[in-house]
Amino acid sequence: MQDIASPTLLVLVPLLPLVAAILTVALGRVLGPRAHLPALAGIAASLAIAIVLLQGVAREQAKGGTGHDHAAKPVEMVTTLWQWAAIGDAAASGDTASAAKAFSIPVALRLDPLTATLFVIITGVGLLVVIYSIGYMHGDPGYPRFFALVATFVFSMTMLVAASNFLLVYVFWEAVGACSYLLIGFWFAKPDAAKAAKKAFLVNRVGDFGLAVATFLLWMTYGTLNFHDTLAADGSTVPGILGAARLGDAAGYVGGAVGTAICLLLLVAACGKSAQVPLHVWLPDAMEGPTPASSLIHAATMVTAGIYLVARTAPLFMAAPGALTLVSIVGATTALMAALIGTVQNDLKRVLAYSTISQLGYMFASLGTGTLLGFTAAIFHLVTHAFFKALLFMGAGSVMHSMGGVIDMRRFGGLRRIMPITAATFLVGALALAGVAPFAGFFSKDEILAALHSRGWPAAHGEHHDAVPSLGGHAGGTDPTGMAVLRDTTALGTPSWVRPAAHRRAPDAISIPSGPLDGLNTPGTWRLLFWMSLVTAGLTAFYTFRAVFMTFTGPTRVPDEAGHHAHESPPVMTVPLVVLAVASAVSGWLLFRTHALASFLASTPSFTAPAVSATATPPAFHWDLAIQGTLAAVVGIVVAALGHLGRRSDGPQMERFLGPLGTLFANRFFFDQIYAAFVVRPLEVIATLAALIDRRVIDGLVDLVARLPLGLGTVVRHLQSGLVQRYALAGVIGTLLIVLALVARAMG
Amino acid sequence: MTPAPLVLDGLVVGAILFALGLVGILARRNLIVMFLCAELMLQGISVSLVSWSRHHGDWGGHVLVIFVLTVAACEAAVALVFVLQAFARTGRLDAAAWQSLRESNLPRTVDHELPAVDTVPPTFPRLTPAGVEPAVDEDALLEREHV
Repeated sequence: MQDIASPTLLVLVPLLPLVAAILTVALGRVLGPRAHLPALAGIAASLAIAIVLLQGVAREQAKGGTGHDHAAKPVEMVTTLWQWAAIGDAAASGDTASAAKAFSIPVALRLDPLTATLFVIITGVGLLVVIYSIGYMHGDPGYPRFFALVATFVFSMTMLVAASNFLLVYVFWEAVGACSYLLIGFWFAKPDAAKAAKKAFLVNRVGDFGLAVATFLLWMTYGTLNFHDTLAADGSTVPGILGAARLGDAAGYVGGAVGTAICLLLLVAACGKSAQVPLHVWLPDAMEGPTPASSLIHAATMVTAGIYLVARTAPLFMAAPGALTLVSIVGATTALMAALIGTVQNDLKRVLAYSTISQLGYMFASLGTGTLLGFTAAIFHLVTHAFFKALLFMGAGSVMHSMGGVIDMRRFGGLRRIMPITAATFLVGALALAGVAPFAGFFSKDEILAALHSRGWPAAHGEHHDAVPSLGGHAGGTDPTGMAVLRDTTALGTPSWVRPAAHRRAPDAISIPSGPLDGLNTPGTWRLLFWMSLVTAGLTAFYTFRAVFMTFTGPTRVPDEAGHHAHESPPVMTVPLVVLAVASAVSGWLLFRTHALASFLASTPSFTAPAVSATATPPAFHWDLAIQGTLAAVVGIVVAALGHLGRRSDGPQMERFLGPLGTLFANRFFFDQIYAAFVVRPLEVIATLAALIDRRVIDGLVDLVARLPLGLGTVVRHLQSGLVQRYALAGVIGTLLIVLALVARAMG
Repeated sequence: MTPAPLVLDGLVVGAILFALGLVGILARRNLIVMFLCAELMLQGISVSLVSWSRHHGDWGGHVLVIFVLTVAACEAAVALVFVLQAFARTGRLDAAAWQSLRESNLPRTVDHELPAVDTVPPTFPRLTPAGVEPAVDEDALLEREHV
């Protein structure tokens, strides 16, 4: 398993962007307008290597001979670069309890299907963003800085998905946050941008705190932070949190209160990074950054780190079904709420920002189903979303570039005549986002709906499953019956189609522990979540096409800022748009048709845990759900067309029909105001008090100490008269005194 | 053997020389005179050294005096250069010209004026004053680069 690919290649994927970043920093002034070259070359090479690695993983997986078998074997390669920290000698102590607690943090990179997939997405979108930025950032005084930051981000993000250790994950979790902060505040002289960067950073701290505490708890619970199995000093194996030893063990994961607490903390972390309710408030403001950065970081890659984290720790979540359900609830709520807000936004980038929040909510809803379908569908949607959302953002950037920095949709219209390529590619992206067949979003959204539907109506999906021959039968008869074993464990929150598989224990060994929050986990909840997602699909189509119609149709209008040179963007910007448009158009169909991604991802170690792989279902196209989803999308598009197609975008808007609800949506459910009143204001009061005490009391004490020598100095200062004779007199008097003293002593 | 009076004479001369020098250095403000007074003090010490040396029949005192003369010669060279530079700087040989080296928040020491000899000031024909006389900072005047 170690010969999937050369470890050097794995290391090169993050290393090349890092080198590019350092080169850009070092040579930025020399390179001047060619400062994009290091980042371009480094990320392109990373992409090439990522593709080679992807092929390597796919080859290794095919070697496993599992094919469409649901019991995919784990495929992973771990390479340890060096030991960051190694505390506690297990062999010396000889005590098994403390041996398990020996603290070692290897800087280990891993390669598995999930990492390989994300590598390609990060470097691929990263490369297109770099190319696009050559045009978009042209002439900006911070040109080299931008590319250095983008390259640093690609380095951090690839390290984040490659890290095989929770501490490393934390490090790069922070690193991508820092890159995000620096890119949001790229135009730091603009007060709004500086504020938005600060807000993003502070809101993310809440999530980061969750990840830190989760890491502590994981260490306390499992005695290691590694994903992979490691060797202790005495040669025994320390089972990693996601290592083969623990994955094969059905009782390997702690449930109950501790397990739920870990998962909830991980969820908090994911909510922060992936902008889920209630920590979503930073993402819309993050649009103050340069559009290519929004496209790369706040649409395609960094915000999906939360999805990655939950997917990676899937076995942990499977042991805490209550927390898992909460993932779905948070996701679906966010999806619906963000979509509602998105319907009344007039800023093109803000519409897309809320759309991103909404789509990330979809992914969370899908992850929370706790089925293999749900996990792979979330990653599938992550992939397609990366394509079409990056496309939409770059399209918005192209509009902004041409409109002289104006992004308010009410101030321009009918741009399809001015910028046909942008309009066409934007339309493709919008269709993909709205989930219209056969564009990418349709397939991934269909899978997500299917995953939610299967939890709400388990019986309907159990039928699919019965059609599959049992795996236990032809794999050595570990399951005596060779038949599907249906368990009615809905009370415990397990799906009722738990099946045995050849490589794991008998079905009754798979016990999904009960824990807190199980009360959430009822079919009713899932049905509600399903309907919420379906409504969100309709709303998504509505706001997306509202934006399309407002921007590209109606009488052609251009704001004054654009001057007389409103034109299509240069090829360096439109080519990435076209590439992404093609990807948005066909990737969904290709990946769904061949079922390649789902079966590929099934070999990710996290998804081979019995609890996850037991929920595998055969690939299926759900006509009923596809029709419902498409219907929702069509309704949304038709409503948007009725309201906006061919009209002036500054004319009467649809939201006048919403009444007070419109106010609610336009004010983003008053989240910012609530936070301002209950979090920001009290903190400001405390800060003011603290500042007062600092200035008056503490600084006063320090000043007092400083005044003491000053006062003493005033006394002796008069001796320094500047008159030589006085000094001489003082010398004479002093000498006389000494002589007198000596004489007095000699006299006795 | 009664050499004591000789020693005493030498010591008295030395003491007188030393005292003259001391008084001169404390009372005079001319840099060159102050320097000369310092020399005077040195020579006073030298005379008493020679006297003691002779009294004890020991060459140590003589050696020391030769040594002092050598050092005094070097010192004279250095001191005169300093005096020249000080003069170039302020245009005066007055040691009080350097009182701007005092602590910055102390008042300037002003020389006591001699009482006016003539109480009735002579009257001269005067022109109508034009303009305002610029305030001159005494310290700044003293620190001019060239004479």
